Amino acid sequence: MKKILKVDQIQKYYGNKDNITKAIDGISFDVEEGEFIGIMGASGSGKTTLLNCISTIDNVSAGHIYLEEQDITEIKEEDIAKFRRKNLGFIFQDFNLLDTLTIEENIALILTINKVHEKEIDKKVLEIAKKLGIDDILNKYPYQVSGGQKQRCASCRAIVNNPKIILADEPTGSLDSKAARQLLEIMEDMNKSMNATILMVTHDPLSASYCSKILFLKDGKIFNKIEKGDNERKAFYNEILDVLALLGGDARDVR
Amino acid sequence: MLGKLSFRNAKRQAKDYVIYFITVIISVALMFSFNSIAVSSDIKELSSSMEYFSKAITGISVIIILIMAWLINYTMRFMLEKRSKEFGTYEILGIEKKSISNMFTLENLIIGGIAFIIGIVVGTFLYQVLNSIIMNLFNQPYQIEIVFSLKAVGITALYFFGIFVLVLLNCRRKIKKTKVYDLLYLDKKNENNMIKNSKGNIVTFLISVILLISAVVINHQGFTNASNMAGRNVFIAIIMLILGIYLFYISISSFIVKRYLNNKSRKYKKDNMFLYRNLISKINTMSVMMGTIALMFTIILVGGNVALLMNNMLNNEIEMGYPFEIMISKEDNDFSKFKEYISENTDVKDMYEYRLYNIRKTGLSKAFEGTQFEGMGVEEIETVMSLTDYNKLREMLGYEKVTLKDDEIIINSLKTVKNLFEKYIEENNTIKIADIDVKIKEIRGENLAQIGFNGYYYTIIVPDNLIPMIAKEDENLRNNSGNAEEDVAYYLDFGYNLVATTESMTDEKFYDGLNELFEKKELIVAEEINGEEQEYSVEVTSGYAQTKGERMSQAKSFYAIISFLAFYIALIFVMATATLLAIQQLSDSEKYKYRYELLKKLGMDELEINRTIFKQILFYFATPMLVPIVISIPIILSVGGIFTIAVTMEEIFRNMLIVLGMLILVYGIYFIATNVQFDRNINGSR
Repeated sequence: MKKILKVDQIQKYYGNKDNITKAIDGISFDVEEGEFIGIMGASGSGKTTLLNCISTIDNVSAGHIYLEEQDITEIKEEDIAKFRRKNLGFIFQDFNLLDTLTIEENIALILTINKVHEKEIDKKVLEIAKKLGIDDILNKYPYQVSGGQKQRCASCRAIVNNPKIILADEPTGSLDSKAARQLLEIMEDMNKSMNATILMVTHDPLSASYCSKILFLKDGKIFNKIEKGDNERKAFYNEILDVLALLGGDARDVR
Repeated sequence: MLGKLSFRNAKRQAKDYVIYFITVIISVALMFSFNSIAVSSDIKELSSSMEYFSKAITGISVIIILIMAWLINYTMRFMLEKRSKEFGTYEILGIEKKSISNMFTLENLIIGGIAFIIGIVVGTFLYQVLNSIIMNLFNQPYQIEIVFSLKAVGITALYFFGIFVLVLLNCRRKIKKTKVYDLLYLDKKNENNMIKNSKGNIVTFLISVILLISAVVINHQGFTNASNMAGRNVFIAIIMLILGIYLFYISISSFIVKRYLNNKSRKYKKDNMFLYRNLISKINTMSVMMGTIALMFTIILVGGNVALLMNNMLNNEIEMGYPFEIMISKEDNDFSKFKEYISENTDVKDMYEYRLYNIRKTGLSKAFEGTQFEGMGVEEIETVMSLTDYNKLREMLGYEKVTLKDDEIIINSLKTVKNLFEKYIEENNTIKIADIDVKIKEIRGENLAQIGFNGYYYTIIVPDNLIPMIAKEDENLRNNSGNAEEDVAYYLDFGYNLVATTESMTDEKFYDGLNELFEKKELIVAEEINGEEQEYSVEVTSGYAQTKGERMSQAKSFYAIISFLAFYIALIFVMATATLLAIQQLSDSEKYKYRYELLKKLGMDELEINRTIFKQILFYFATPMLVPIVISIPIILSVGGIFTIAVTMEEIFRNMLIVLGMLILVYGIYFIATNVQFDRNINGSR
């Protein structure tokens, strides 16, 4: 399997000399092509900071992150935007759709930013919208559709450009359980049939059970790592709950 | 309890309220400074002498009120939109709509009241500043007195609270009518297009174009037909112009939407989609705003040009019409009383008396055919002067002597029509005067008071040897006048002129004294009125006198007031426009910030984002300028038409360039500043 992402001993400190908070304290892991990896942990465990570092929204204090062969901690300021739009896809907790654009246009937006030829855009958008089951609401505005549909639109936007990796930050956080399940099935499908590599931050064990591999963070360090392997999702879910119990006092926050 | 809650909420949104507060203050200040001018005694005097003028003031007040109403409405709706979620939450918590709208009303009345008082204070300073700017610009000794006037405060209060209460009632209605759901999601909604089908849109567009063209034509007629219809015409033209401009921008923005929606490949090109959608989401607000700004630009362009025209007029009219300090025209050649009076009361430099002769028309006035001067001058007779007299007058004014052969003449015209004659004599360089063929040697353009005193627009200069024949024809004309066929009595010059130059300028008292020297006689005039022969007596004098000093003091006040007023209005509107755009950009910057932030997250780099911002702001700034620039040119030409006797076309075009240049300069600075601030707003938070 090809190695897509390599996180190598990264650290992230906040604060001044006298009072340092270590948000990330030496984390290393690899993500291979086609993996659906989950990152879990209590609030303050550093999972969002980790995601921000990988997505180049934040920069690391020490260590390196490689996307394929490229060290993204070394990218020059002026090249970051270009790197981001070419290689990364985003799914946010609060959808981040533009109210002024229709669903279709929200998906097309990332393609216009990438300067895809105008004639191809329409085809690509329709294709991906069909796959994710929102082709019937393409002409509606975000405020006219449900949260689940909005998040599916965001997923379309994240994958339509064929990014190397999709970064999802609590994608089910604003959805009810049914919509959440639908979305996760779609993400699983994106991962399996379109071979998309997904890195998802979540605190919800049900969401995490759709992943193929889960990293547990505690106080900025990797606390545990489990893999689904050939397990059923139900069994994997129970395994996750066990690890969360092990996480101790913080586990209550996690649930 | 609710009051406390709302107060706390308002405090938390202080930043938005600052925008709102400042808008209200500026509106009040601008309105107040205009009203201060409108109620000043100078303007009132002027208005009482010119009915048309007071109508213009009323018209402008209406426009100012409309614009302020729009501005206040815009910001209050903006606040309502901002707080709609909060109000929705109150409603969910079970608070009645009535208490919510009461709360909103109370809050706004308090804010409005405070802003009004501050606005009056700011306005008091503002008009002092505007006043001194204009005084410096025009360098005029005459000053319009503006003092703090309670009447102006009263009128401003009436306008402002009138607008305020109406807008507030509208907001209350909106709160009452809006469902909770809509209140909660009001800020996410996009506006719908006012005109849905494209046929309606094309019709609207055509109507707007027709209205604009008619406005120009009617306005032109108002200024060319010197009848009492002028005021009404201009008033109608203004209303058509307002309607036309708004309809134009409403239909144009619909065209933009159509253009965008109908072509996917255009839509997906570069940042088109993002920009178009930003505009479309606010399409109604946008088209009304564009219309409003365009209207203000038209006023600025026309006002600025009128101001400069008046200034030119003042300078040129005095220069052309009053080359001599004292000019007297009389039926007979007995000037002894006048000479005595002048010698006693002034420090005379030079004094000269001469004769003017009238002869039948020579066809020279054909030079005016097809121009704006056609029919404006006296075309029944010509005015002739002898070369000796001409040279003496030239000497008095410091010009060199000229010579003529026995069969040559000179035409001395106003400089504004000199080129017409030059063109005319290319083909017709000989004319017949008093049955003698003469050659036109040259056309001269010196100012010798050819505005009625020494001929109308031009004077014919003949060598002295021709004078006996000319005098004979003059005598014939005077004797025969009264014949039905040849009734030119009305047009004849008095015939005997006296001009004098002095060391220092004369005053109005001198002028009054001079005019008392003329003999007066009662004349019985018979005229047919309503089919009945009626007789009435008029008092006529045996001549008239003009002095430069008297004219100066009169003209200065008259032109200075109009020119001041026009410039003042232009400045007020420039400020109002700037405020409008500032409010619009600032109030929406939160929304835009979120949008641009997302673009950044998705991987658009800063340079591209800045370029997109530039395009967006450029659109907002440039589009409203298109119609005003096009439409103001014919309007200014019409208005300028009434000045063409004293102001040349070059001067009119130069004025246009000056005003446009100044506007673009101020506007450009503002555009750049907005851009910089916008970039900072979007990129600053990183």
